[in-house]
Amino acid sequence: MNDLGKKLARLAFEERGADFLLAMREEHGNVAPAMVSKGEDVGDVRLEVPYQLVTILENIYPWISKGKIAIITRRCDEKALAELAKRKYVDDKRIIKIGLACTEEQIERCRCEDPVPSHVDVGEPHAAVKGDELSARLAKMSQEDRLAFWVGQYKKCNKCFGCTLTCPVCFCDDDCVLEERTFVAEPSIPPGLSFHMVRSYHMIDKCIECGECERACPAEIPLLTMRKLLAKDMKEVFKFAPGDEKTVSPLNTTLEGELMGDECDEC
Amino acid sequence: MAEFNPTILAFCCNWCSYAGADLAGVGRLQMPPNIHVIRVMCSASVKPEYVLKAISGGVDGVLVLGCHIGDCHYMTGNHRTAKRMPLVQKVLKEVGIDERRLRLDWVSASEGEKFQKVVTEFVGEIKNLGPNPMREVKW
Repeated sequence: MNDLGKKLARLAFEERGADFLLAMREEHGNVAPAMVSKGEDVGDVRLEVPYQLVTILENIYPWISKGKIAIITRRCDEKALAELAKRKYVDDKRIIKIGLACTEEQIERCRCEDPVPSHVDVGEPHAAVKGDELSARLAKMSQEDRLAFWVGQYKKCNKCFGCTLTCPVCFCDDDCVLEERTFVAEPSIPPGLSFHMVRSYHMIDKCIECGECERACPAEIPLLTMRKLLAKDMKEVFKFAPGDEKTVSPLNTTLEGELMGDECDEC
Repeated sequence: MAEFNPTILAFCCNWCSYAGADLAGVGRLQMPPNIHVIRVMCSASVKPEYVLKAISGGVDGVLVLGCHIGDCHYMTGNHRTAKRMPLVQKVLKEVGIDERRLRLDWVSASEGEKFQKVVTEFVGEIKNLGPNPMREVKW
């Protein structure tokens, strides 16, 4: 157990009364997410590897019926948890957040504009980065150039579904439309523009800009830039930004702002 | 060069716009023959995926027609559409496809003339925009 592991174990199990701790740890030279129960050896915890632990939490949550789960949360994880709690995928009361401030390189890499968690337990808070170089370049381009740019980027896609699997707010599990033949022809690689546009649309009211899709993408498509551009549009059209538990997505309310029931899947 | 004849999909809601289109037909109102009407139960059942797939597949324009706000057969169906379509337009815009290729409008069952007007206007607009650039892209 390294010092960080000891510190986190004390913080989670003794001070905050958690029953499980979800963190990244090193085993045999590899860093992977691990769930540790109270009393177990925490091991060599690593925090420098950026990974959305919320995705792991979301996958194992249905199998853990009781007990509190402590999880290392960056600012983006916090927002993702709010989005999940809002849609009742997780119970907020059973989650204990251990705030982690991102390092400067990580902020730089995500072009993050909101990097500091509400409560910092580990790490030093650093300032946000303003603006994204690529989106500024795209804004200056003509429409034809922009289409050529994105088509060129999306042609690199090999449909590995890495962006959907690692996304913390991509939670339709078995009935993802992107896995249906209706929208993406089965043998087609690259999958075409509709795949990426449908995904962009699905993310528009929940993307918390963690950048995991971009990190996971083996073809290095600048997916995060697209998410950031659309988040800006969302703010412009509906003055809504995801990541707050109290606000409801404008797509689920009527034009007067009243809450609508669930969408009908029959038609 | 032959004149550009756009292919346009028109999603019409069963209760208002389709009846409006019917009325326009019965009244023999003249309009361009470029539109392919697809009858849906409600404008809210036009999933954004359908629109995005159509446009990325090379359709020149998509017209989504529903009942006027407040007249929806399913009470708040068209509220959903009214919220979704501007966002779909933004998705198209960011990728680099003209957002005017998608248009949302309200046509009631008694507005055959409005149906004619909307279709004529939209076809004219798409003719000005030219063919969908996605037609040329080979994946």
